[in-house]
Amino acid sequence: MNKQIKVAIVGQPNVGKSSLINAMSNAKLHVGNFTGVTVEKKEVFVKSDLFDIKMTDLPGIYALNAYTPEETVAKNFLLNEQYDIILNVVDANVLSRNLMLTLQLLDMHKKMILVVNMIDEIEAKKGSIDAKKLSILLGIPVILTSAKTSQGIDEINKTIIQTYRAKQNDNKIYYTQKVEERIKELTKVLQKSPHFKDKDYARFIAIRLIDKDENVYKIIHDLPIFIEAHNVLEKIYSSLTAELDEDSTVDILSNERVAIAHNLHIETVNIKEESKNLNEKIDNLLIHPILGLPIFLFFMWALFQLTFVLGNYPMNIIGDIFTYTATTLADILPNGTVNSALTQGIIPAISAVVMFLPNILILFFGLNLLEQTGYMSRAAYLMDGFLKRFGLQGKAFVPLVSGFGCTVPAYMAARTLKNPKDRIITMLVLGFMSCGARLPVYILLIGAFFPTHDAGNVLFAIYISGAILGLIFAKILRVVLFKGEPEPFVMEMPPYRLPSYKALYMDLWYKTKMFLKKAGTFIALAALGIWFLSTYPHNSALEKSYEIKIQHTKNIQIKKQLQNELSAKSLEESYMGHIGKFIEPVFKPLGFDWRMSVSVIAGLAAKEVVVSTMATLYSVGNASNTSKGLIQKVRENVSFNSAIALLIIIMIYSPCVAAMSTFYAEIPQWAWRAFYTIYPNVVAWLFAYGVYRLLSAVGH
Amino acid sequence: MQTKTISDLQISQEATVQKVIAKEPVKSRLFAMGIVKGAKIKVLEHTLAKQTWDILSNNTKIALRQEEARQVVVQ
Ligand SMILES: Nc1nc2c(ncn2[C@@H]2O[C@H](COP(=O)(O)OP(=O)(O)OP(=O)(O)O)[C@@H](O)[C@H]2O)c(=O)[nH]1
Ligand SMILES: [Mg+2]
Repeated sequence: MNKQIKVAIVGQPNVGKSSLINAMSNAKLHVGNFTGVTVEKKEVFVKSDLFDIKMTDLPGIYALNAYTPEETVAKNFLLNEQYDIILNVVDANVLSRNLMLTLQLLDMHKKMILVVNMIDEIEAKKGSIDAKKLSILLGIPVILTSAKTSQGIDEINKTIIQTYRAKQNDNKIYYTQKVEERIKELTKVLQKSPHFKDKDYARFIAIRLIDKDENVYKIIHDLPIFIEAHNVLEKIYSSLTAELDEDSTVDILSNERVAIAHNLHIETVNIKEESKNLNEKIDNLLIHPILGLPIFLFFMWALFQLTFVLGNYPMNIIGDIFTYTATTLADILPNGTVNSALTQGIIPAISAVVMFLPNILILFFGLNLLEQTGYMSRAAYLMDGFLKRFGLQGKAFVPLVSGFGCTVPAYMAARTLKNPKDRIITMLVLGFMSCGARLPVYILLIGAFFPTHDAGNVLFAIYISGAILGLIFAKILRVVLFKGEPEPFVMEMPPYRLPSYKALYMDLWYKTKMFLKKAGTFIALAALGIWFLSTYPHNSALEKSYEIKIQHTKNIQIKKQLQNELSAKSLEESYMGHIGKFIEPVFKPLGFDWRMSVSVIAGLAAKEVVVSTMATLYSVGNASNTSKGLIQKVRENVSFNSAIALLIIIMIYSPCVAAMSTFYAEIPQWAWRAFYTIYPNVVAWLFAYGVYRLLSAVGH
Repeated sequence: MQTKTISDLQISQEATVQKVIAKEPVKSRLFAMGIVKGAKIKVLEHTLAKQTWDILSNNTKIALRQEEARQVVVQ
């Protein structure tokens, strides 16, 4: 086995850490042009001749004073885990700001490499960065790279191995004399403890303490030297601030780092002042005080229009192909278990899901553009004032919008919210943002009950009303359960970037693969289960009596009718029929028959299962209509009012088990878990009932 | 003389940061984004009700709320 080199990838948010790892390996880490894309550490392995390199991609951090939960993940890793090298990635465009973190990392006195990424953007501006000089000034290797053009990527690997083999060099950052004296004084005190025998480590801890790092303060809190260290520290706080006339030692250290970083920048970066560029012209329009919000709403509307209208063509073709396959197979295969399991159970179910793949891909394509171009943070900026009225803040927009794709990563993305109250409110209302898996149910019902030219608007209305409902609940939660102001809002807005077609294509291709895999495995299995439960046990007495009746009639019409009667009766007598009858009372007030009720419950496993279950149940219960499309069957079996009630249930009730378990993993408090598990379902039922009654009252 | 903060500036007006009077941890966050004493900033945009601000500092665009904008004293 090769020796393993452990590398921690550290840097400010959105500098291209994950992109670099993707470029170095065949990993497919999530990348996006906004801060806080990576919220959990991820390990990626790169093999070379002699060494295996284990790279840990960490969430971006602005400074070692962690601020949000996802930054804490990175900080805890840096302070507590074992690794050999820190690979510090910085964005060449904003070198001096990024170097502030670099300087803090250098205090740790570990082996370190500086990767200056996005060098392609500097070169496009006819600028340059002197890597050699920067390397000499900082005392660590410096590599210029571009994850976009792959420039310098191979060099990273080589440098990691060289650095691993080389001895630790003396890459210290020295502060001004007054500060250095205090650091020395505190270091001496710390060294009295066996914890801090290592002088460099003691120095690092001393600097962190003077920088008022609360996590580090907790480390020394339980040590015997605490009282002495604490007294010295208090003295340092008051004497330094008095001598240098600043509010706090945090300001002092920050000022020093600014000065050092600024000098490094002047020494090594050669770039002309930028004129007003395209970026700002785009911003003048997209975040225009008056036009900004309408433009954003227009984009969303256009996306849902496209999702329905464009997706409709392939949808019908895919549906037809599956229906044709099912009818053909039904004729070819001998009558029996396999035949009906395939043609009535699995194929209709998979068809019902795969049919909607084009729609889902269009939606994901739109969300991907939102993530990659940099518009995401602009939208957050635009929505901030609006969200504030509902007790949320602009940054909550990112998880909320991700919720339109999939609820699981959206729950994770809520880690970028600092305030625990904000975070829990956001997570509690995230389910109101309809995820991509619910799209099939909507399109099915809209397709069955609305004219095509309205369909896109109805779809848009569903998503928007879900979002508005979510905001109203956020407000209620804020007023009733989480009193207090939302957290402050300070957010970086990265420059616009053209998404790379390759990345876009890869992302959609990956999503397609995952979707088909899910349809072929999970959904197919679920469908087999549903089919089994709805076909067995056979009631031979019933079958016999019908067979005799069928044989005795000559009229084909009546024969067919009898056959259908038999299937319907058998279905009712099946296991599923009994289960359905058992839960039917719950949904009876909404006008659901037991098949819809079962589908809703099955949807807790995954939302696609709602349509696949409906497909199976409506084809098992109907012997003669394998050839009809699902939309047609739904139109025949479901009333308009119930369809609307079903839409509302799907919009609001609990997300799938995968999403629920993510919530449980993120939120440890049992009270919140219980609340989260119950309230969406109650709300869903009440709303659906209200609308159902209203529609009935106005005579629908 | 009254202290002037970012929230008193007009769109496309430039200024120099004098002091950040925000409390921790917002202060550290502003520092880390480059809003430090002596930094040159420029107001790029604000929303209609001046609720949210878009400022440029050191080649970085930063969105802030009015509350935070009031806590950066400028000259
Ligand atoms: N032009 C250019 N763009 C890049 C380069 N590297 C990354 N990007 C883009 O920069 C953005 C951020 O990339 P990510 O890899 O998500 O950045 P990150 O550092 O992992 O971000 P967080 O996980 O949020 O901390 C994406 O839009 C990338 O496409 C580069 O070398 N050149
Ligand atoms: Mg990342």
